[in-house]
Amino acid sequence: MTGIGFDTIKRVTADLYDRSLRFIPADSKVALRKADGIETNETARHTLQTMIRSAEAAEQSWRFVCSDSGVPVYVIKVGTQARFSGNVRQAIVEGFADLVASIQPPLLPHVTNPLTLERGHSGRHMPIVTFDMVDDCDFIDITCSPKALGSGRWSAMEIFSFPDLPTIEAYVLDVVRKAGSQPCPPVVVGVGIGGTFDYACKLAKEATLRPIGQPHPEAMVAAMEERLLAAVNRTGFGPMGTGGDSTATAVHVDYAAGHGFTPVAVTFNCWINRRTRARLFNDGRVEIIE
Amino acid sequence: MAITTHRLTFPLTAESARSLRAGDMVIMSGEIVVTAGLPTHHRLIGCLNGVEPMPMDLNGASVFHLGSYSEEKDGTLQLHYINPTTSTRFNALMPTLISGFNWHAVGGKGGLDRPCVEALRQVGGVYLSFLGGGAALHTQAIRRVIEVGWSDMLMHYRLVRLQVEDMGPVTVAIDAHGVSLYEISGAT
Repeated sequence: MTGIGFDTIKRVTADLYDRSLRFIPADSKVALRKADGIETNETARHTLQTMIRSAEAAEQSWRFVCSDSGVPVYVIKVGTQARFSGNVRQAIVEGFADLVASIQPPLLPHVTNPLTLERGHSGRHMPIVTFDMVDDCDFIDITCSPKALGSGRWSAMEIFSFPDLPTIEAYVLDVVRKAGSQPCPPVVVGVGIGGTFDYACKLAKEATLRPIGQPHPEAMVAAMEERLLAAVNRTGFGPMGTGGDSTATAVHVDYAAGHGFTPVAVTFNCWINRRTRARLFNDGRVEIIE
Repeated sequence: MAITTHRLTFPLTAESARSLRAGDMVIMSGEIVVTAGLPTHHRLIGCLNGVEPMPMDLNGASVFHLGSYSEEKDGTLQLHYINPTTSTRFNALMPTLISGFNWHAVGGKGGLDRPCVEALRQVGGVYLSFLGGGAALHTQAIRRVIEVGWSDMLMHYRLVRLQVEDMGPVTVAIDAHGVSLYEISGAT
């Protein structure tokens, strides 16, 4: 038993990013078809149908769904029983470098130094990776969720003091209104409430990764998600912002206990909702989840 | 109300642009110019002010906020993919460029603001909304890379003139009569 190897992590993380660019998740396909079935605006229905055709064309030809491949972002859950036989972060960095050198079609240089605005395919802290521990598991669970400009630009966070629910929900809608047509709706909205500055943003990001149609397990939060989804879709922005009922396919909310200061973080995934996921086990097995 | 779909030749003329109404669909054939670069837009403003010569003729062109990746193979440029970028970040520069170059068709995704809508109304121009995440469909319509301007810039910032056939349908999101679907939907 050698544990989870360097080469396996390198290969799997590169492959997760590559695959994430070429199809949309199964739950997104279902959500777009559902939206098309209930949309009342004819232009919007047309746009939704073109979205489905576009995703199918990319998957069939194994080409990119979008030219903005974003930057690679990995959310990694590390089982406490997982064992490694090499460096993890370095494996991910090398996997990305190898992918950049070999991927067809090639990637545009989206990795940007925020201080000089120089663009390329590598940089400080790139790929972006977060690690969390999970008790009693002998695997690591890796989700790849690349972030591109269209949806990445419009995330926002504000810290309130002892806010009531209407205040929190009004803020979420305010962020959605400012984003408007720009994050390629219908979007998945992720909302993180409470904890601390950094933790609320992490909760919001991870909320976007939850499968569409799976409500929060707590009834109070699930009801909030339902209210917010209805309110977002009442804005009338519609697919690509040119009008309609389908502005979001889901609003996912999560929260953490905190002090009386309450951060509220809001983030978006565009309609293509890129997401791939795999588990790497101690015995060498690799399970592709999506 | 049924949607009207128009098959039009590009670059679009002012007359053709004025025949369109917000909400119509357009299937495009002919020549278009694409770029996704904010630095490119600043450089074009510089050209209008005589800072440097134009890299290609853009008078009366149809210029879209589309990022593209092309590579030279066997002496010809081959385009790998093309897809729209968010137009709103060009808001401040677009009225000067639309008026300065008489652009009768611009586009991308996400729309443009009211000063741009007014500039389009004055020159007889429309804004066309391309599907974001539509790379596989948009790329199928590319027939040829005609010319590339400012090859010293990043790939997706360059000005690329393309020959397209049956591209779209794209949505007339801002028409030449001052109507913007983004304002009606409240999304801008």
